[in-house]
Amino acid sequence: MSLSTITRHGPEISDAIVSFDPVTLQRKPVKKADVLDQFRELRNHEAVRIVQRIPEQDGVLDEAAVDKILITSHCEMQRMSEEFQHGKRVAELLKPILEALRHGGVKNPIRIVDVGCGTGFVVRWLAASGSLGDDVQLLGVDFNVALVNEAERLASIEKLRCQFAVANAFRLDEPATIFISTGILHHFRDQDLSYLLQQHCRPETCAFVHFDFHSSPMAPLGSWLFHAVRMREPLAKHDGVLSAVRAHKSRYLLEATRSAAPEFVSAIYGTRLWRMPIPRVFHSLVGIRPKYHEAFIRNMGTRIASLGKIE
Amino acid sequence: MIAVSLWLLATVDSAFIGYREAAGRNALIDKRTYYRHALIRGALFGQLAVLIVGVITAVALVSSSDARAQFSDIEAVGARMLIVYVPYAVILLITFCVRALPSVDIRSITSVLIFGPFTFIRPLVVLAGAVWGIVAARSVMTIALVVLIVTLMLGLGYALSWFRARGLIS
Repeated sequence: MSLSTITRHGPEISDAIVSFDPVTLQRKPVKKADVLDQFRELRNHEAVRIVQRIPEQDGVLDEAAVDKILITSHCEMQRMSEEFQHGKRVAELLKPILEALRHGGVKNPIRIVDVGCGTGFVVRWLAASGSLGDDVQLLGVDFNVALVNEAERLASIEKLRCQFAVANAFRLDEPATIFISTGILHHFRDQDLSYLLQQHCRPETCAFVHFDFHSSPMAPLGSWLFHAVRMREPLAKHDGVLSAVRAHKSRYLLEATRSAAPEFVSAIYGTRLWRMPIPRVFHSLVGIRPKYHEAFIRNMGTRIASLGKIE
Repeated sequence: MIAVSLWLLATVDSAFIGYREAAGRNALIDKRTYYRHALIRGALFGQLAVLIVGVITAVALVSSSDARAQFSDIEAVGARMLIVYVPYAVILLITFCVRALPSVDIRSITSVLIFGPFTFIRPLVVLAGAVWGIVAARSVMTIALVVLIVTLMLGLGYALSWFRARGLIS
């Protein structure tokens, strides 16, 4: 993986090699030539080389081959999440929210939906830890059937109490009480991001927590180094670095949220460590209905120091 | 003492090579058994490397016209290699102690500041130790032994991956 990846701005390869109809969720064929042209235009030769190696059938990227690469990449990403104890990080932030919701008399069961769950690491980790309580239902949703099947397979091996579905997270029959996600927000830009955030504004939804890379001057280089030493799959290396490059700035995320989802009070959690100028790898966008706000703040305890100004 | 220290470092290093080679290939949540096997496998492969080096060293000493001089040459080079390897290992050991603290943030910092960068520079550290040792070597045999050690330690991860690709380890 070349260091020049940190200068890229274009889409990630994983965004370009799969396509889904947003309404029917049916997978659409992706022409290899189109993807190659897209990356050639962006002068992203590394992406071109990676896509060139993906098998095709009649000019269309082979779905099975693409899925295999994506599952491998997700497995490698999980290793990174484990190293940075991401599951525990999510649980630490969800617990005060759940306590606030319970205190506020929210209807049981509390349904936590992981948007774009991939192979479901976070949902499976939370289920395995059993730390959120018996009144919590865990559901991971993704558009990609292969990733959801893999998540289900892994959960069934470990007999975990969680579910996965190929679905649009915002059009579920039983809506989410809390939406969570990891590494999703930076895939959405401008109006798409606003649209995504607007989707939280439904009566049943009480809170959301979206984790993503924290944008900082050192993030691209740090991400490059980590992906160079921890990843094997070229697509995972390329996209991982690009994710850090494309990460939204905290201020931008917050402004977008406050404008798109004004029904919630929101803040960024964990931009700095211990109020010192040490940037974190991940930060999270937290939103909660004003009704639960005070209890949430109270339940945060000493962690409140890592929560930015909540408005 | 020098030989024992080098053996200990090689064993620990190869155990972690086993861990790194296995990491990112198993998406289950509870992987304690999987990683324990990976560490043991790495350490055992490391013993194979040590055995190869040991046998060749023994043959070199037996066939040398001045075994005592050859042995002290190897020892001197080994001591110089330790000057590079021990501080690297000590920093990692201290970092592991820090990582034992039950804080997500502290554990993340150990990865960001030490484990990630130190994995990145490991090949350079291995080479630096070898070069620092070779500079003081007086015989070609000693230089050849150092080159063999470096090749084995840097090639161990690839060897494990080769076995995995052929389904010989899982």
